[in-house]
Amino acid sequence: MNESQHLSSQFDEELGRLRTHVLQMGGMVETQVSSAIDAYSSGEVTSVKSIVEADRKINDLEKAIDDDCAHIIAKRQPTASDLRLVLGISKIVTDLERAGDEAKKIAKGVRRIYEAGHLPAQYGIGIRHLAEAALNLVRQALDAFARLDTGQAQEVIRADSDVDTEFKSIIRQLITHMMEDPRTITTSIEIISIARAIERIGDHAKNVAEQVVFVVEGRDIRHVKEKAK
Amino acid sequence: MQIHDQPALKAEARNLNFYYGEAKALKNINMPIYDKKVTALIGPSGCGKSTYLRSFNRMHDLYPGNRYEGEIRFYPDNTNLLAPEVDPIEVRMRVGMVFQKPNPFPKSIYENVAYGLRVRGENNKRVLDDKVEQALKGGALWDEVKDRLNDLASNLSGGQQQRLCIARALATDPELLLFDEPTSALDPIATGAIEELVHELKKRVTILIVTHNMQQAARVSDYTAYMYLGEMIEFGKTDEIFIKPNDKRTEDYITGRMG
Amino acid sequence: MQHSTLTAEQVRALIAKGKLKDTLFQALGIFFLGIGLIVIFLLVGDMVLRGSERLNLDFFMNFASRRAANAGILSAWVGSLLVMMVTAFAAVPLGVAAGVYLEEYAKRNWVTEIIEINITNLAAVPSIVYGLLSLGIFVYAFGFGQSILTAGLTLALLILPIVIVSTREAIRSIPAMIREGSMAVGATRWQTCRYHIIPYAMPGILTGVIIGLARAIGETAPIITIGALTFIAFLPPAPFTEVTPGVNAGMFDWLMSPFTVMPIQIFNWTSRPDPAFEINAAAAGFVLMVMVLSMNAIAIWLRYKMRKNIKW
Repeated sequence: MNESQHLSSQFDEELGRLRTHVLQMGGMVETQVSSAIDAYSSGEVTSVKSIVEADRKINDLEKAIDDDCAHIIAKRQPTASDLRLVLGISKIVTDLERAGDEAKKIAKGVRRIYEAGHLPAQYGIGIRHLAEAALNLVRQALDAFARLDTGQAQEVIRADSDVDTEFKSIIRQLITHMMEDPRTITTSIEIISIARAIERIGDHAKNVAEQVVFVVEGRDIRHVKEKAK
Repeated sequence: MQIHDQPALKAEARNLNFYYGEAKALKNINMPIYDKKVTALIGPSGCGKSTYLRSFNRMHDLYPGNRYEGEIRFYPDNTNLLAPEVDPIEVRMRVGMVFQKPNPFPKSIYENVAYGLRVRGENNKRVLDDKVEQALKGGALWDEVKDRLNDLASNLSGGQQQRLCIARALATDPELLLFDEPTSALDPIATGAIEELVHELKKRVTILIVTHNMQQAARVSDYTAYMYLGEMIEFGKTDEIFIKPNDKRTEDYITGRMG
Repeated sequence: MQHSTLTAEQVRALIAKGKLKDTLFQALGIFFLGIGLIVIFLLVGDMVLRGSERLNLDFFMNFASRRAANAGILSAWVGSLLVMMVTAFAAVPLGVAAGVYLEEYAKRNWVTEIIEINITNLAAVPSIVYGLLSLGIFVYAFGFGQSILTAGLTLALLILPIVIVSTREAIRSIPAMIREGSMAVGATRWQTCRYHIIPYAMPGILTGVIIGLARAIGETAPIITIGALTFIAFLPPAPFTEVTPGVNAGMFDWLMSPFTVMPIQIFNWTSRPDPAFEINAAAAGFVLMVMVLSMNAIAIWLRYKMRKNIKW
């Protein structure tokens, strides 16, 4: 990645501002996900409202960043590393925004579960662990973007498959529960959708990491693994 | 990226050095020119890209004290364009050139285009008429000038004059066409017309173009070479050079980090 | 910039000072220019006034005579015209060829440089030296005698440097991109010269030639040196006319004929004791002036007309 100055310092400023905004947005998504998980564990349904509210802010920020990307492309015709950065950012913000949406889904699911009664204790640990792993992926992906560190980005991509594996085992567990005790079906379905949302957050973190690799190395590593399989 | 078939070679510079008197202007250049493709030469002023371009039609032979070393192989016949025994006139009959500033002769539109044929001894009016029309059509100028072929070329607009110069070069069916910053004196509309024309022309002729305008290189070329201080720093597919150049110096230049 | 801030009055005073110098220089220029113009007007005016009584058709149609009132300039102006023709025919091809060679073909080396220095020096050689040269070469060695041919060739030598220099200047003013444009389509050097360089340089070349001829027409010294006669009461034989009964003149016989020219006629008249001839001299001087000025006018007109179509 090219860190030297442009002839146009204004261009440098514009790109710098863009990156700051992405990190700011990432920070908001991170907080949103972590509060959704907290709500899940603690049953604090009051925080759900603020999570939904935060999502609106994240959406606004996404639009603002996309707008800035469009302006930079129109005004500066970026090439090479600059072009990759702008393209990467416009994709990263899409993934961040979707991760935010998933957090919102989790929060709403939590509210429905707790309004219907309370969370059966046996569901807590597995989901909580999955959520911590996904949240960690988001943090690491944002870190990798902030430092343009492809090593860390690769780490995220690898770790996402662990999250996927864990997600599958939770689903199997829930299916067992539902077969054993049909009364848990309603709650279980809510929890499946929460687990699905957490798994999606992990996928979005992976997508961000893939974009970091593209921004830095110009390699498009999306869908490579699937093909290899 | 998708997999391309390697196109045929039209020309190839091999260990090309060039001297203006004592000053070494080109340093050991090795580069392929692919057939029926547009190759762009980019680089800061004084990097030797025009010098390199003008080696292909031996333009340097017009001035004393210039010296070539190495070869430019020209295919399919594998002639070395720079060999002393190869007549520069013969080279220029195969390699056409369009200059930075439109340089029509102060003659009629018709005579400008017919000139290349006249110096080859063609005086048959019917043949000339036909070739002039074909060349002007090739230069995308025919519709604009067909009713005033005997007008002075200097009465045309800048963009039209440049297309006339392209038609003049096309009239003799060159195999390789050199463009030396062909749009630097033109407005954006005229520039667009020339770029469109380059795109059309590559169906029938190989094109080598020097440009200061990076976006232009990105738009019109299939391959791009970045030159700096007389050296060829990087050569590659334009798509790749503009998204992921391999050399830091190329990157700095195309992203505007260097003057 | 704080320290250099000036008040509006100071700025105005500065501008006024600058403008005063402007005005002064302008006035001085006009004054000096005026001196030159006034001298020319006085000269021409004096000639016209003194020579006016002779300025009629007879003056142009009469040969020289011992009586001032009957004397005319027929043989002189015809002689001048014929000599100029020979001069032009000799100097133009030689000068243009030399200029084109030096600009387009000659390699830049010490031989070329010596040639160039010599051409510049030739322009400064006193005209009488050309006369002496021609006396030795054309009159005696080649045996051309004291003829129109000798005079024409002598004056051709005299204006050759002017033609060469103006040819080179005209060629240099053609942009390199025209030359390159021609060479780039595969033209040879000669084709480039033939189709572009010489045609586009023509206005400049012609201007040089006419200015050279205007200088040559007034030359006296070399013509006297080669021995032009001062008193000629006949015209050179026109081609194919009967000179002596039964003998027709050849196409180029007039070239070998004795002759006189305008400046010699004037010189001859002014050196006579009879003041009546002074009037003749003034009238002839005026005619010579008109001839020179109209040649210059032709030069300007030609340049304008030919340059109209040459744009780059």
